[in-house]
Amino acid sequence: MTGAVPASAVQGGTYADQASVRRTGWLRRHRAFVACAAVVAAALVLVLWAQLSPKGDAVPMSVHNAGPDGARAVAQILGRHGVAVHDAGNYGAAMAALEAGSSPTLLLYDRNGFLDGPRLRSLAASAQRVVVVSPRLQTLDALDAGIRQAGVVPEASPVLDPGCSLPDPQAAGTVSGESGFLYDGGTTCYRPDGSSAGLVAVGSDGQLTVVGSTAVFSNGQLDSLGHAALAIRTLGPSPDLVWYIPTLEDLDTGGSPASLDELAPGWARFLGPWLALVAVAAIAWRGRRLGPLVFEPLPVVVKAAETAEGRARLYQDSRAVDQARDNLRAGTLVRLSGHLRTGPGATAGQVIDAAAELLGKPAPELRELINERPGTEARLVAWSRELDTLEKEVKSR
Amino acid sequence: MAISGRFVLLVLLGVVPVILLPGWGTVLLVSGVLAALAAVDLLAAAPLRTVSLLRTQPGNVTLHAAVDAVLTVRNDGGRRLRGVLRDAWQPSAGAQNAVQDIEVPANESRRVTVRLRPVRRGDLRAPHATLRSFGPLLLAARQRTVPCPGSLRVLPPFHSRRHLPSKLRKLRELDGKAAVQIRGAGTEFDSLRDYVRGDDVRSIDWRATARRSAVVVRTWRPERDRRVVMVLDTSRTSAARIDDETRLDTGMEAALLLGVLAERGGDRVDFLAFDRRTRARAGSSGQGNLLGQLVQAMAPLEAELIEMDWPAVPAQVRAVSAHRSLVVLLTSLDGGAPEEGLLPVAAQLARQHVVVVAAVRDPQLGTMLGERGDATGVFRAAAAERALLQRAAISAELRQHGVSVVDAEPHQLPPRLADMYIRLKAAGTL
Repeated sequence: MTGAVPASAVQGGTYADQASVRRTGWLRRHRAFVACAAVVAAALVLVLWAQLSPKGDAVPMSVHNAGPDGARAVAQILGRHGVAVHDAGNYGAAMAALEAGSSPTLLLYDRNGFLDGPRLRSLAASAQRVVVVSPRLQTLDALDAGIRQAGVVPEASPVLDPGCSLPDPQAAGTVSGESGFLYDGGTTCYRPDGSSAGLVAVGSDGQLTVVGSTAVFSNGQLDSLGHAALAIRTLGPSPDLVWYIPTLEDLDTGGSPASLDELAPGWARFLGPWLALVAVAAIAWRGRRLGPLVFEPLPVVVKAAETAEGRARLYQDSRAVDQARDNLRAGTLVRLSGHLRTGPGATAGQVIDAAAELLGKPAPELRELINERPGTEARLVAWSRELDTLEKEVKSR
Repeated sequence: MAISGRFVLLVLLGVVPVILLPGWGTVLLVSGVLAALAAVDLLAAAPLRTVSLLRTQPGNVTLHAAVDAVLTVRNDGGRRLRGVLRDAWQPSAGAQNAVQDIEVPANESRRVTVRLRPVRRGDLRAPHATLRSFGPLLLAARQRTVPCPGSLRVLPPFHSRRHLPSKLRKLRELDGKAAVQIRGAGTEFDSLRDYVRGDDVRSIDWRATARRSAVVVRTWRPERDRRVVMVLDTSRTSAARIDDETRLDTGMEAALLLGVLAERGGDRVDFLAFDRRTRARAGSSGQGNLLGQLVQAMAPLEAELIEMDWPAVPAQVRAVSAHRSLVVLLTSLDGGAPEEGLLPVAAQLARQHVVVVAAVRDPQLGTMLGERGDATGVFRAAAAERALLQRAAISAELRQHGVSVVDAEPHQLPPRLADMYIRLKAAGTL
């Protein structure tokens, strides 16, 4: 029994080894393919993850938006004080929430005027109180509460006092008038100097409240001035609050004009496919090759100066100033020696003396130039130029 | 099978009924009609099984010259063949009209001429030819590729031929045929002739003059029937390109000029291309003229990416010529390789033969030497200087061993090598 165990283990081991060898062999053969597949898979996972991960809500005044222009803080505070905040995504949900709630309040922020008259009216009829934030002209007209637009808050009055007898503004105190809109009609509060229109307007029956600023409800400015008090007092009287921000899908498309497809003549549907057929035929016409390609056996050709250039790069990378100097000096001496006919056995000193004699210059000066050891690259460049000039002078004599 | 541009145009015209009577029925009907037309045309096309191709081998051509390759198309079928023929030469053969329209009646043959202007030396091949036979409507065609191997040998261009007249004149001056003023032109006594003005007075043969009334001069002629062995290095170093030409090509040019010159000079010429084994061999001993043999031997040579087997070269030379010869080694002198291989072998050969090493110098090095503008330039100049010094050192060492060295830029190498030959011949050292 004990003897059989190592045998089977060995056998198992060899099988495993063979399998792993086969697997690594396959991997090695298809290395590029495997690497590409891994990169593609990683990219796919990344994209999917980015698509599927919950995105932050960026809609202004949304109860889920935690950004400075969101209204998540107000909704949370109201919820903690026992007000049920129903976030309605579309018109149907808003209507349902309004009908289900007991004496609900509706907050409506319709920046782009998506809702039409009948829908606005039925919303207003279902809610006990309606708070409209920065409404457009059509919205106000449809609600027909005698409130109209009256321009923007002048820049001269960044902070507005309540200035009215309504209890909520009175209790809240000052609010910011920055980038706010003014409304006239009914009871107006927060009036800038010399104006009868105010940032907050309440309809004559008290059902409709118009607030001309989103800053009052926004996360960013909720804690400044009397914003929090005004927001909570305006939205909080009833146990149910329906928070409704109409979107594009609430646009009534019942009477939209005919699509391009319906306007086009009947044959246009067949034109595209037929042209595609023509394209396929053209591809078959041009793409059919006249017989297989013929191979061109190309010989290996290398640039001869490649080795010298490679060595030059090596010199430069390692800043081999001394090596370069030695080469240039030796080359210059050899050429000078050939030109001055000093013979193959001449020493450097003899060559320099001969050159000095030819040029009529003092020999020590030339010796100093030729035997110089430039320390830096800049000096090497200057020195090599001087050497070049010397050589040209000798050759011109 | 294949379709024609005419068929594509017909498909495009098919859009007219589709627009006039829109509906899937029309689309299907028009497509069906088009498909039927193509099918009928394809069936009516001449069958290609019965077509045979016969190639006349174009033979030899020098590089950059033009030659005609002829293909004969024989149609043994019962229908007239209308279509296209492609003679598939490899791209460097430079076929000017590789694709041609052909029309061959039943049971007849037609000749198709393809003009070739090759751009590379060597054996260029055409493995097959492709035929396309259109139907009577010229809408669809049958296609068949027929194996039909053809080969064209492109010979080295021998650009250095232009140096030949001047070098031959120099050679004849040695020969005593032309009046020469210098004594010692040639070493072998040739004949006696009458003195003409301008002859060197030192060559007057006074004994012969004494026997006759006129002054007689001796003429010499250069030694004849010597042997010239050219060894062309085809190893990896010959793959280097210098001035748009590889070392191998420059070596060929030099070898051709020297070979022709030496043959006219009355010597026996042998050519050997060698790296680790003999790649080509030619010589005066063979049939036909030497130039033809040389170019035929050189045409298919390519640089091999292996190291030269220098120790084997003396044996190769001995196999070609057992006597004292002029051995010309066409190789490279670049640093690294020659010290190990070339130097000892050249020295060994020089003990028995007259050895000349001919190598190409890269003009690029001279350009790099002048770069003194910035640090990069100076380092390049230093590297070039080092390469040139190495060459100079190797040349000096070769000369110490009694080897002559011809180190010249590519276009200068053939005439310089020819000059070296003439100098050696004039000195009578062969």
